[in-house]
Amino acid sequence: MLLELDNITTGYGKAQVLKDICLHICEGEIVALLGANGAGKSTTLRCIAGVIQPWEGNIKFRGVDTGGVAPYILVSKGISYCPEGRDVFANLTVLENLKIGAYLVDDEKQSEFRLEWVYDLFPRLKERQRQSAASLSGGEQQMLAIGRSLMANPKLLMLDEPSLGVAPILIEAIYSKIQEINASGTSILLVEQNANLALEVADRAYVLEKGEVCLEGTGFELRDNEHVKASYLGIA
Amino acid sequence: MGLYLAQQLVNGISYGSILGLLAVGYTMIYGILGLINFAHGEVFMIGAFICYLASAVRGMPWVIGAILALVTSTAVGFLLQRYVYRPTTEKKAPLLTVFIASFAASIGLRHIVMMFYTDKRRAFPIPGVFERMFLVGGIAIGLRDIVIFIVTIAIMSVLAYFIRYSKTGMGMRAVSYDKNTAELVGVNSRKVTIAAFIIGSALAGLSALVYGLSFGIVNPSMGITPGLTAFIAAVLGGIGNVTGAMIGGFIIGLGEVLFVALLPASLSPLRPLFVWALLFVILFIKPSGLFRPNVKFEEIWE
Ligand SMILES: Nc1ncnc2c1ncn2[C@@H]1O[C@H](COP(=O)(O)OP(=O)(O)OP(=O)(O)O)[C@@H](O)[C@H]1O
Ligand SMILES: [Mg+2]
Repeated sequence: MLLELDNITTGYGKAQVLKDICLHICEGEIVALLGANGAGKSTTLRCIAGVIQPWEGNIKFRGVDTGGVAPYILVSKGISYCPEGRDVFANLTVLENLKIGAYLVDDEKQSEFRLEWVYDLFPRLKERQRQSAASLSGGEQQMLAIGRSLMANPKLLMLDEPSLGVAPILIEAIYSKIQEINASGTSILLVEQNANLALEVADRAYVLEKGEVCLEGTGFELRDNEHVKASYLGIA
Repeated sequence: MGLYLAQQLVNGISYGSILGLLAVGYTMIYGILGLINFAHGEVFMIGAFICYLASAVRGMPWVIGAILALVTSTAVGFLLQRYVYRPTTEKKAPLLTVFIASFAASIGLRHIVMMFYTDKRRAFPIPGVFERMFLVGGIAIGLRDIVIFIVTIAIMSVLAYFIRYSKTGMGMRAVSYDKNTAELVGVNSRKVTIAAFIIGSALAGLSALVYGLSFGIVNPSMGITPGLTAFIAAVLGGIGNVTGAMIGGFIIGLGEVLFVALLPASLSPLRPLFVWALLFVILFIKPSGLFRPNVKFEEIWE
């Protein structure tokens, strides 16, 4: 088991958002997390990444309890979180944005190797490596944010709505890259509004409603589920 | 007139160095914590005082006094970070609380020194070699001015290189821009904050030595005006931009000196006003400052 959330309850300030969330990810899986706006998908990822702390329950990553551990330490343990809205550093160049993704990698050779791998994945980034990240288009910034998360060589990559605001043709490209990344040995936790898209690539999925897990199953099972069809796939 | 102006420019360079070196600390700390370190002027003052105490009062060699000054300024900056800014910012205290803590640290440090030494001006020790003068085409250039200029330029270049190419420098720029995302990619923002305080405070100590050598005086409230002026230089250069802060310091330093030199003597009391007028004009034309700031710009002014 790579990641295990056991009855996680958390929120912001005094406002509770998640209630008794249980989910797990096995080594090598792509797991999707679906749900409407405000269901608590991003909150779940933030909790796993250490940005907010669980109020109750345990999070275990590779068997070790990670509750209360700072985000930058979790990065060194192998958890990378690519946040919603592709927060690239607009004051850095494309290359610097990627290099900072390997901030904790001391081995120069290894980070060079990762950089080449990311450039192979997203050749567009190599063409623009000397430009300011602010000069990239929205879709290119999304690629940069994903590339940056990959520089640390994560065991678990969490992607928060990688298709948001990206042109359909680029979405397809990004999704095929997600499968490529997975094939290279990185497990993926994927948050999506677009359930069709996510269920196509996901081995398994969870559906969140109002901060609780209401359904879980394999991609196939959920695509055939009446509730999912009606509420998330737009099939009446 | 030409000679007179050239002479004033030579004098302005030392003043520009003082402001530029001091502005680095303001810009780094404002960039990273999003707040003004009001006690930075006191970090500066304490440096000058230590050199005075060691060298003039205790009779130690000047160089030892200067080294002690740099070490003490750095230590004071580190302790401010550790015991004033870290507890308040990491506990997410309201900005007003941090503001008050910062102000209290500034006033507290100043008055502790006053308690022992009163606010009387004292003569800063200046080693004889620095008084050597060269006449170049009718302009008197002190060895002091030459040393100050060379040291400042050398330090600026090293620092600019460090910020641009080192991992820590990149981490600093990333934390300045977006601390939360920087932590998500593995940057330990606490370490970066400590680095900013250490570098900024060491340079404040150096700035204080330059000040002492140029003006020949020390007193407990000596940090107030240079501090405020250097902060303006930091804003002028684009918040978080270290090279910008240095250049901003030189622009204001040279500008102030020329302002006094060119206008009738009756206007020279308006010298402080000149700095604010310059800031106003530049921010009116280019609100982000002259160079690219290393912060999400809207956040500061909202
Ligand atoms: N920083 C925050 N402070 C306070 N409340 C928050 C914060 N972020 C999110 N919330 C609240 O938590 C709830 C869940 O938000 P979350 O961002 O996890 O939803 P989501 O499922 O990711 O939605 P979306 O699809 O719109 O991104 C919402 O009601 C939101 O108002
Ligand atoms: Mg979200």
